[in-house]
Amino acid sequence: MRFVDEFRDADLGRVLAAEIVSLVEPGRHLKLMEVCGGHTHSIYKYGIDDLLPENVELVHGPGCPVCVIPMGRVDDGIAIANQPDVIFTCFGDMMRIPGSDGSLLDAKAAGADVRMVYSPLDALRIAKKNPDRTVVFFAIGFETTAPSTALTLKRARADGVTNFLCMCNHVTIVPPLRALLDSPDLRLDGFIGPGHGGRVVGARPFEFIPADYRRPLVVAGFEPLDVLQSIKMILQQIADGRCEVENQYKRVVPYEGNMVALKAMSEVFELRPHFEWRGLGFISQSALKISEAFADFDAELRYEVPGVRVADPKACQCGEVLKGVIKPWECKVFGTACTPERPIGTCMVSPEGACAAYYNFGRYARDRAVV
Amino acid sequence: MTPDGTGLLPPCDHTIGCITCGDEAVPMSVLVVEEDGLALCADAEGNSQTVETALVGDVATGERLLVHAGTALARAAA
Repeated sequence: MRFVDEFRDADLGRVLAAEIVSLVEPGRHLKLMEVCGGHTHSIYKYGIDDLLPENVELVHGPGCPVCVIPMGRVDDGIAIANQPDVIFTCFGDMMRIPGSDGSLLDAKAAGADVRMVYSPLDALRIAKKNPDRTVVFFAIGFETTAPSTALTLKRARADGVTNFLCMCNHVTIVPPLRALLDSPDLRLDGFIGPGHGGRVVGARPFEFIPADYRRPLVVAGFEPLDVLQSIKMILQQIADGRCEVENQYKRVVPYEGNMVALKAMSEVFELRPHFEWRGLGFISQSALKISEAFADFDAELRYEVPGVRVADPKACQCGEVLKGVIKPWECKVFGTACTPERPIGTCMVSPEGACAAYYNFGRYARDRAVV
Repeated sequence: MTPDGTGLLPPCDHTIGCITCGDEAVPMSVLVVEEDGLALCADAEGNSQTVETALVGDVATGERLLVHAGTALARAAA
């Protein structure tokens, strides 16, 4: 397939891998974080880490939108789903995230009307088909997904739909990156930047990383050669003593982002003062809520929810995994008590979660060649 | 999975990832340009979906789009 096969060419991959090896200073250990869960998935699907020398370590970031949802928000969603008049809609993976007393899938089994949708537009369609019921969309995702919710709420208003509400859990990528860079737990040497999130916000919002923290970031595509080339570009910057934002994914990501998307988001959402991230705790101005102009569509204003912060299960180390402090297989319950079929932690639920990616593609501790 | 989402959760295909939850976009081709900024699109496997096209502007039948969560984020190269 054109524009796919070219980015999966094995010979070119080997050439890039050799160039990566040549760029690494012997004896120096480099930690690069892939921010986006989609990159984590690509890395293990295509075995990209097997092509890297041992002293180039990939650390998995907080960019899986399902994995960062705290248990308390799941409980709030279930409380709304259990309202008698409600059809509760969400993306598939979200249904399996455990709350303090079961998941949305468990709530569905117990009688709540919980439905999986592929898009907020699907949820709006369900609302139009069921005018006697209230349809609530559990919105999750970074800047990649937030425009979809914003455009759907604008469409609902334009179409005069009054039985459609949104429980907004959209998060923004810059504040957690800053929190990670401020964390004493972690020393990172560079970032593989979000590809499709960058399509919305552009590459410019990441300029603080080289400016304030002196670390390079390369916005990357998702095909194997995209990821390898991005790693090479980061290592080239380090070898040259440079640190800047570079855009490997120019065929999709404009430096300035998508103005239509940003405008729609600014109309429909406003920043929350703070939001809890699984494993990272409360981070200021890191999430979106429905704006006053669209308050009619805010499920949290219509329904009372527990709003209680729930601590993660003690055995689960998703927090350390999300911060890149430990590898998934270093978690005490990885692959034993916690599996994709019966997840304890969020990282094992979504295929973009680091634990699920390791589990599904059989990635465990193993040796690689030292340069 | 039924069209209105009333079916049980479909098995998650861990080899391809989740098209909605990960920050990935799926290449889709425009089958029918509908009114009001929507277009019926299909992916490489023939799965079709109505897609919001406000972020990319006017689209034409046969055009390829990168779609995430039911919204076209970009035009894919031809």
